[in-house]
Amino acid sequence: MRQLKCDENSRKIASMPDSRSEELLARIQDVFRISESERLLTDPVKEAMTELLRTSAARLRAEGASVLVRNADSGDLQFLAATGEVADRIVGLEIPAGKGIAGFVLMSGQPLAVSEPDDESGFYAEVDKTTGFSTKLLLAVPLRFRDDVIGVLEYVNRSDEPLNEPFTPAEMDAAAVYAEAVAALVNAHIDADLMCDLSRRLIQDGTEAADIRAWLLSLRENSTHARALELAALVSELASKGDAEVELCRTLLESLIGYSTSTTGRLDLA
Amino acid sequence: MTKLVDPTFAEAASNFMPDPQWLNATGNGVTVAMIDSGVDAAHPDLVGRICEEVGAKIEGSRVTFLPVEDGDLAGHGTACAGIITQLAPDAKIASIRVLGASGSGDAQVFLAGLEYAVKQRYKIINLSLGTTKPQFFAPLHDLLDRAYQAGCIVIAAANNLPQPSFPSIFSSSLISVVKSEERDPLKFGFHYGEVIELTAPGVSIRTPWLGGGYRTLTGNSFACPHITGLLARLVETHPELTPFQAKSALHAIARLNSE
Repeated sequence: MRQLKCDENSRKIASMPDSRSEELLARIQDVFRISESERLLTDPVKEAMTELLRTSAARLRAEGASVLVRNADSGDLQFLAATGEVADRIVGLEIPAGKGIAGFVLMSGQPLAVSEPDDESGFYAEVDKTTGFSTKLLLAVPLRFRDDVIGVLEYVNRSDEPLNEPFTPAEMDAAAVYAEAVAALVNAHIDADLMCDLSRRLIQDGTEAADIRAWLLSLRENSTHARALELAALVSELASKGDAEVELCRTLLESLIGYSTSTTGRLDLA
Repeated sequence: MTKLVDPTFAEAASNFMPDPQWLNATGNGVTVAMIDSGVDAAHPDLVGRICEEVGAKIEGSRVTFLPVEDGDLAGHGTACAGIITQLAPDAKIASIRVLGASGSGDAQVFLAGLEYAVKQRYKIINLSLGTTKPQFFAPLHDLLDRAYQAGCIVIAAANNLPQPSFPSIFSSSLISVVKSEERDPLKFGFHYGEVIELTAPGVSIRTPWLGGGYRTLTGNSFACPHITGLLARLVETHPELTPFQAKSALHAIARLNSE
């Protein structure tokens, strides 16, 4: 089906005058580069976040974990990453500003543990209704970055017996430590999203290249993950050279990822 | 090294005790302001206890407080009100809702809520909220000083997180509380010289929740209303209690607890 559409598009392009078809092709290449760079920028951060959720949930004997991030404009909270039984249904769900336990944790900056093992219906109504999950135990801690609360980290239910054992103060403290690492990743994700926005703006508005460079520079200077952004910038620069370079870059990165995941220790590049 | 407390003074302080009648008090005639997520006034444990319910409304850069009827948006306020009424069953509660008015600028709304409570001259103000934003340090410090001068006793929940949270770290103008695993509400602790001076029960506390139910909760914000409830009793027996006298009384009782 996709192939068919591509063929149709190719035919349309072929029937256009040369200058227009070249322009369209250039645009299509830009779109391709953006989608590639979006994946390159945001996927590794999300994967790292999910892995951290999985590890920390196991350490806290929690059945599932999730990250909610505040939308800077509306104040709504959105699930950015999750693990556990209903992870797929949770990611992308929104909780309106100032509602529910997560809304309170976001505003108060106070970690909370709530439990009601006897209530069969579960209590996290705003999420349970949509996912079909039944929340019996919940541990929610604020995600702080610099001086601001940017989201909420949540752990739900126990993974093994005793299933109704409430989260303890020590687990609350441990969750607060994990929250520091998760918050840094959330911030990296927000920055990566900004980069993607920038790419889109580049195409839509024809923004001046000098402005973009200045903006990128300020972003990099303010970022805690400048190295990741540097890498992204290098990839983006390579991608601008042409399709062969994009292909080469991808092959190289894939090989590197393949190599590093196949080795148990760290790469010894010294 | 100079001792922080002179031994003779410490002895005198230990002899100071509020009228023991406070133990039998119920908070009669005392109103507690609660800056929180609202309250479920229809909860069986809270019926007849809520004397005011207002919520924040934002108009441009102004925050005003108007009567609201849609209760509690998170469950937290209902839980805190439940703890206060368990300890002071005849105290009235004024619910000042600061949650849900806005997604951003939350600290601004909570500051406005505290200002509203001070302007209304509520004798006891329960604050289970805080902010880590440094730009609110000065305005909150100023407001807490005004509360102190107006005779309002403000009780704030601390947090155990690495960043300082305002106003809980202000030691002179308010009473800050952190949770302990103690079960008996009367066995709270006072640690003079520490940033957060009071400890009170805050682990696995069973309290009212939305929809007439109950939940078991853990957090500093549930330790805070324990001290608030006890202060409602103290204010019933000592209606003119000032913020510094309140601290002295809590200190004296806690010393007795630790003996």
